[in-house]
Amino acid sequence: MSLLDFACRHRFPGGFELNLAFTTDRRVTSLFGPSGSGKTSVLSMIAGFLPPQEGAVRLRDRLLTQVPQGVNVPPEKRRVGFVFQDHLLFPHLDVEQNLLFGAKRRQERTGRRIDLERVAQVLELIPLLSRRPKNLSGGERQRVAIGRALLSQPDLLLLDEPLASLDEALRGRVLSYVERVVEEWDLPTLFVSHDQASVRRLAEWVVVLNRGSLVTCGPPAEALAQPELFRWRAESGPINLLRVERVEAHAGGWRGFVGGQPLQLPQLDDPPGDSVFVQFPPSAVTLSRQDVAGLSARNHLRGEIRQMIEVPHGVFVAVDVGQILWSDVTPAAVAELNLQPGVEVYCLIKTVGLHVV
Amino acid sequence: MWTLTAEEIEAVWLSFRVGVVAVGLGLPLAILLGYLLARKSFPLKWLVETVADLPLVLPPVVTGYLLLVLLGPRGLVGSIFEEWLGWPIAFTWRGAAVASAVVSFPLMVRTLRVAFSEVDPRLELAARSLGAGRLDCFFSVTLPLARRGVIAATLLGFARSLGEFGATIMIAANIEGETRTIPLAIYSIANRPGGFENSWRLVIISILLACGALLISDRLERRRSRHESA
Repeated sequence: MSLLDFACRHRFPGGFELNLAFTTDRRVTSLFGPSGSGKTSVLSMIAGFLPPQEGAVRLRDRLLTQVPQGVNVPPEKRRVGFVFQDHLLFPHLDVEQNLLFGAKRRQERTGRRIDLERVAQVLELIPLLSRRPKNLSGGERQRVAIGRALLSQPDLLLLDEPLASLDEALRGRVLSYVERVVEEWDLPTLFVSHDQASVRRLAEWVVVLNRGSLVTCGPPAEALAQPELFRWRAESGPINLLRVERVEAHAGGWRGFVGGQPLQLPQLDDPPGDSVFVQFPPSAVTLSRQDVAGLSARNHLRGEIRQMIEVPHGVFVAVDVGQILWSDVTPAAVAELNLQPGVEVYCLIKTVGLHVV
Repeated sequence: MWTLTAEEIEAVWLSFRVGVVAVGLGLPLAILLGYLLARKSFPLKWLVETVADLPLVLPPVVTGYLLLVLLGPRGLVGSIFEEWLGWPIAFTWRGAAVASAVVSFPLMVRTLRVAFSEVDPRLELAARSLGAGRLDCFFSVTLPLARRGVIAATLLGFARSLGEFGATIMIAANIEGETRTIPLAIYSIANRPGGFENSWRLVIISILLACGALLISDRLERRRSRHESA
């Protein structure tokens, strides 16, 4: 039996129609698509906020919605935790009361117990417990919102663009809290995003949708490599995200390894952890058939071309350097260098173009 | 000269009692209706809105007349109360309380409707997803967040009750110690020979009470808007 089965059709008053079916077994699934593609509506249907005109939602062995057969479990009985884009903490309660709102109402449940002490510890909320939501920063509010949903002992956690209201510096941090939560409680999670970097970092399964219907679904590396995606170049197009391991001080800066190859990191304010993520756009990657010396670009990662996707005015080349990274090159360059799948290339990346998250 | 006469003390005390009972009768219903009007759409909503607003524009005497028809000793509802419960309504303080409740009802509904519509409905969704049923959600999230509106509505309703004259005199008449509230007492005293000069004590009390209620509800209103923008 799968973890989540979703198949719903709903026509909105404005004429937008959602018609989507997907199923997932993985712990962390991402709904990925541009704004207005219907991602939030899908979450609302799973949470029971929006009954679809037709369709069914099943969470493990529990049928939550089946229309028109008349099954519609109310939100309070679904055991589905919801973290909203803009946190929606109760302004008249302090942090501790917010956290316990759901916990108090689910006391009778046995089985997996998520307790306040551990949640406050993992999400680093202990110094905040007596504060009011209006006296918290954006990142703190989002952490409280995640903790509040967790403590309602959900069978499934829904995250609706939990990073969208945060600035970029905070995103990486909140994302690592979400990672911790998923690890700590082994909690099935479905999260919505239009940001490839967070999807690639977190998701084990990706459901890509556009204009209310399914584009594709699968593991991130495959689902995010669909040519259809690149129509959304500006907003949610591919972004490179590499996991850099064994970070160490080197030559007055920081260096780490990607697939055994060294990568020079930019200057950092704080010493990084043992492993970090670096993010950079495909346009920051230059391809070369030979390893060239005497260039200002510090990083030369050797890899093999896996896939090439032609888009108007360019070609996206996927190179396996231990992890997949994308380069955006011109059709003329492809012809001149004779680039094709299987060919070995060097990816030249300027250190200053790397963004550590 | 500053001390109140027994008749005046009686009127002030009665007015308080009538006001408290009137608000107690009207508030729960006003909360329910204010919430429904703020949140739900239902058939004939316009009709409900109109009927709820009617006492605001109807001459109070007409409201009192209609109440007397309904609640009088031979009225549809009044006869039931008198025969089955032994509680006559017309020409008793209960009638004065009902008249005040009806006349102040639209003011309370309007204030509460605004207060409820200012509560983000998605906070209610959040509460539901955390395991709170509809009623639980209303009492633990919606109502506490609209509490300033509830207090403002209570004060406005109470102040309007203290001023009720037209409907009260129709259904409850002007019986000293039973239905003679502050406005009726002022009217009675002023109509006596040489009484006009003697009405000023109750006039000042009326003004002070009205100003006090308005000031407090206004302050709550303003603090709420400042709170929202913060």
